[in-house]
Amino acid sequence: MTDTETTIEAAGNGAKMKGLVRFQHVDKNFGEVKVLKDIELTIDQGEVVVIVGPSGSGKSTLLRCINGLETISAGRLIIENQFDMSDPKTDLRKVRVEAGMVFQQFNLFPHMTARENVAFGARRARGKAKDEALATADELLARVGLADRGGHYPDELSGGQQQRVAIARALAVGPKLMLFDEPTSALDPELRGEVLGVMRALALEGMTMIVVTHEMAFANSVGTRLIFMDDGRIAHDGDPAEMFANPPSDRFRDFMKDVA
Amino acid sequence: MDFQFDVVVDSIPVLMEGLALTLQITFLGVVGGIALGVLAGLARVYGNVLINGIAMIYIEVIRGTPLVVQVMFIYFALPLATGLRVAALYAAIFAIVLNSGAYIAEIVRGAVLSINKGLIEAGKALGVSSWQNIVYIVGPLAFRRMVPPLGNQVIISLKDTSLFIVIGVGELTRQGQEIIATNFRALEVWTSVALIYLAVTTILAYLLRLLERRIRIL
Ligand SMILES: Nc1ncnc2c1ncn2[C@@H]1O[C@H](COP(=O)(O)OP(=O)(O)OP(=O)(O)O)[C@@H](O)[C@H]1O
Ligand SMILES: [Mg+2]
Repeated sequence: MTDTETTIEAAGNGAKMKGLVRFQHVDKNFGEVKVLKDIELTIDQGEVVVIVGPSGSGKSTLLRCINGLETISAGRLIIENQFDMSDPKTDLRKVRVEAGMVFQQFNLFPHMTARENVAFGARRARGKAKDEALATADELLARVGLADRGGHYPDELSGGQQQRVAIARALAVGPKLMLFDEPTSALDPELRGEVLGVMRALALEGMTMIVVTHEMAFANSVGTRLIFMDDGRIAHDGDPAEMFANPPSDRFRDFMKDVA
Repeated sequence: MDFQFDVVVDSIPVLMEGLALTLQITFLGVVGGIALGVLAGLARVYGNVLINGIAMIYIEVIRGTPLVVQVMFIYFALPLATGLRVAALYAAIFAIVLNSGAYIAEIVRGAVLSINKGLIEAGKALGVSSWQNIVYIVGPLAFRRMVPPLGNQVIISLKDTSLFIVIGVGELTRQGQEIIATNFRALEVWTSVALIYLAVTTILAYLLRLLERRIRIL
């Protein structure tokens, strides 16, 4: 059974966890609509997986299953070799503090300053004291280049700055894994670089990342793995540079043309 | 036209007593109405079928019947049914609690449902509990949106207290009517009563605008 495999593999691997995320024959339906079909996917610690694919192919849904914002319909999904996402008894809060998420629309809390936004999860989800949470927030805001913006409310920040705050907010909880759902799609082109820069730095520090994006340059230079989703399935899964150089299918080639 | 200002002056002490009672009923009634309305509104949004259903029936019964009938029911009918008799003043306060509570429940429900789902998901994704999400994110944002309609409800409830003339509570309208019963000066007295209501509602509306400017409605 895969369960024993999982444990042995995890135990046998010291530094980097194998199978931080494991999809095993996962289906996801919304009523009659089959959105994810027989997904098989294992992601190890330290990977930077870039997911691309046409609109409606299930990219967001795949990410949202990982942190339990969506419940899978069939199959097994195991996070960190311990959280069984198909088991209703699994404490989703424990999974979510391990998997930070960054949304296309930033979703910063508008009634909190940047600092308070970042401190929020550290304080309320991790139970840190207020001072400690705010210190973490200041540190992370500095890391995303916004040390001087802590006292600003989201509506006083540019889109790029808001998204960097949102990344800091997710990091403040101390996740092992970061999920990005089109983090730059809502931004004007000239603001995308600052967000991609922060993500690149995060990848270089060894963060495990799953990134849904249309930024092919990022996929090529930062991604360690490229997944092409099509109609609810993983159509291709390979090395980004190789896939760009030799498109594995006409479907993928056409998609790349459309994005470019 | 024969408008006697001394009639106005003579009426003022008694009208002020009425105003004091009007404000008292409004204040206590709306405070209770907010408590009840928040409960009923949250029950509508978050309650299970049973709790949601009870809240919905309460809201529909109150919204579907006139306030005058509600207070007459509390003051005259309820004692017959239960044997419990309450003083007119308490019946009046209770009527405002029940009545404003139903409208405030709808205000609460609307405000809570208007909060961007993305923010709630962002909270969930951080790993905070549903309760923390409600207390720290939905609550503060919904509260800001509730301020303008709540202020409006306070003004409506204040004017509604004039209906308690039917159970003989000595609020502003009732005091005016009683003065007229002795001096027959309808013109001066109703003018004075109207202006007092107008002054109070104008002040309330002004305070509300100050409050709205101070809090950032997001
Ligand atoms: N809550 C939902 N209820 C019903 N259908 C849904 C729901 N969420 C997503 N879907 C459907 O599932 C399919 C996949 O959606 P998903 O958002 O995962 O696609 P995507 O690849 O992220 O697309 P995009 O590039 O447009 O963001 C779509 O057909 C969408 O309409
Ligand atoms: Mg999507």
